[in-house]
Formats: sequence, structure tokens, C-alpha cells
Amino acid sequence: MSVLILTHPSSHAHVTPPGHPERVARIETVDRVLAAADYADLPRAEAPAASDDQIGRAHDAAYVEMVKSSAPAQGWASLDPDTHMCPDSLEAARHAAGSNIAAVEAVVDGRHKAAFCAMRPCGHHAEKDRAMGFCLFNNIAIGALHALEALGVAKLAIVDFDVHHGNGTQDIFWSEPRVVFASSHQMPLYPGSGASHETGVGNIFNAPLNPMSGGREMRVAYEGIVFPALREFDPDLVMISAGFDAHRDDPLANLNWGPEDFGWVTGEICKIAAECCEGRVVSTLEGGYDLDGLASALRAHLDALIAHVETLG
Amino acid sequence: MTDKMNDGPIAEMTFEAALAALEQVVSQLEGGQVPLEQSIALYERGDALKKHCDAKLGEAELKVEKIVAGGDGDSPGSAPGTAPFNTE
Repeated sequence: MSVLILTHPSSHAHVTPPGHPERVARIETVDRVLAAADYADLPRAEAPAASDDQIGRAHDAAYVEMVKSSAPAQGWASLDPDTHMCPDSLEAARHAAGSNIAAVEAVVDGRHKAAFCAMRPCGHHAEKDRAMGFCLFNNIAIGALHALEALGVAKLAIVDFDVHHGNGTQDIFWSEPRVVFASSHQMPLYPGSGASHETGVGNIFNAPLNPMSGGREMRVAYEGIVFPALREFDPDLVMISAGFDAHRDDPLANLNWGPEDFGWVTGEICKIAAECCEGRVVSTLEGGYDLDGLASALRAHLDALIAHVETLG
Repeated sequence: MTDKMNDGPIAEMTFEAALAALEQVVSQLEGGQVPLEQSIALYERGDALKKHCDAKLGEAELKVEKIVAGGDGDSPGSAPGTAPFNTE
């Protein structure tokens, strides 16, 4: 039993316009990392497609229909200035959402202690009724709501260390006391939300980080804000929105995290999962646009997840 | 606020123009209306505007120190000078 890796070929078919940072080369980089000897033996599963009903737990029905009807026959359709659909994007988005459903099922029923969804498009900017920031469906929210509504999980936590605030996940769980959402992110930066005073029903914990700050400041924020909130909430499942764009080389942000910082934060989140919920962790790929930075940060993340599972025995 | 003011060369801006442009940048970033791809460029322009404002403020402070030091030979780093308030 180790870290389950969820993939699907459709992640490669979601082609964005030339020059777009959220590009096929990202998932090719992820694939190369996962093919390395250290990870070649990890168990794999093909991500299923999420149904309309499963997606509809997180999104308004009218929004789901809008996305479905927006897929172009050729070229691209733009849902916002950042977010584009090619003819195969809808299938990719369904499988990216479905990967989170399969991952929570595998972890909640005990087949695996941890899972990583190596999928795109990313999801954490997608709100209930709005595509934003490269995201069509909110993959982690769809997985979380499946855990709550279909698997009997009473409460869960989502930690988002993508460099951009997870406004979509915050929007979907703003009034949901069964979910704690904790996010670290550069501020000011896109999408502009994520201030400390945005607290939902006492279930939202935002830890904005100053531009140019690095691992030391990040540790202070997590140890002061995020980890105490997680421990007090005592979740039955921990999910991670794993964006790797806080890496110092990322072109879309100004934080200065190194691979060791991604490893540290992952390891600490896993320790809390071990304390609270027998180590159950589901992680999903969000951003990360410098390919070498993405690869090194992902390796640190995977190494921490694997070490966590090995510690659990 | 004109686009020209926000987009012009920063080095040529007055303090007031740079501060106004910086306020517009902050407002845009906080308002969530800037696409993800452009937000980093906008942030970096804001950072350059802030540095320009800092430099302009530094120049002004230096001038004030020189004025306060007056023509009596005090160095700019000495305690602020005061002129006697003579009501006569």
C-alpha cells in the first residue's frame, strides 16, 4: 500500500492557445517525474469521468450546462480571459474532477492511505457558477463533496498551497461547516481574494504571504494559522490543492519557495492527517508553470507523501 | 485615471502620478478583475511604481533636511533645527 497515482490520457488532450502557461507540457513534465525509478512502482489507476450529478454537487446546474455547451467543434472557446476550451477540454475536465472522486473513494475505503491526482485542467479557481484562472470544474471540491455526500465522511479539511488564492474552493464551501478550507497564497496577486478577514462561517482560514517571501515566512504562517485550525477541526480526511507555483522560478508569481519547502509543508500536513484521521490524504495538482520548478517541487511533494505512508506502516 | 498615466514610463513620473498609478494597480489587483496571466506583470509594475515613489520621497526628505539644516553649517544628519519664534 503506497501512494495511489491517478491519471488519464485526456489531460494531454486539453490543449490551450499557443503561449498559454497552463499547457500540455506541464502534464508531460508530471508524467516524466512519475516515470522515474523512485515512483515507477507506485500503484496507478485511470481516472473516471465525473457525471453531471457529481459535478453538480459543487456547481450550479446552469453553469455545468454552459460549460458543456461551450466546447467548440474546433479551435478554442474562451470562458474568461484566462480560461479556454478546445474540443477535448470537456472530457479532460470531467476526468480531472473524476480523479478526485476515485481518489477519495480509494482513501476512504482504506485501499490506499494517500493518493495524488496527476491531472489537468486545474480546478481551485472555478466557483459555483464561474470559470476562472484556467479552471473549468473545481476538482477538489467535487471530490470533497463526494466524500461528504456519498461516502459518509462527516468532515474534512482542504489545504491549498498554490500561490494563487483558491477563490473557487472558498466560494463553494463558504457556508459549509463540514469543511475547513485553509489557503496560503501570495497577496497581492490574482485573483485578489484571500484576505485574513475572509472567514466564511468560521471554517475559512486564509494565510496571505508577502511577495518575495520564502520558506521561513511560509512556516510561520502555517504554524500560526493553518496547522492550529486543522488540529482543532480534527478532520476525517485531509485534501491538498497542490499548486507548485510558489516555487522561486515560477513566472506567474513572486514567492521564493524551494523544493524543501514543498516537502516540509506536505510532511506537516500529513502528520496532522496521521493524528486526526489515520493518515488519509488526497492531493490534487493545481498550478505550477516553470517546468523544472514544477518537477522538483512535485518530487518533494511525492517523497513526503510516500514517507508518510511508509510511516503509517 | 487615464491609461496613459498608468502605462507611461515610470522614470518620468512625478511622485503624485506614480502614487496615483500605484493606487490604481492595487485597486485592480484587489478587485479580482485582472486575468491570471497578467496579474504578475501588473504586480511587478506596482512594485516598480512603489520603488519610484520611495526614491522620490527619499529625494524630498534629503531636500527637507538640507533646508532644515539651513546655512549655519549644520550637517544634514544633525537634529532638526528650529528658528526662534520672535514675536517682537
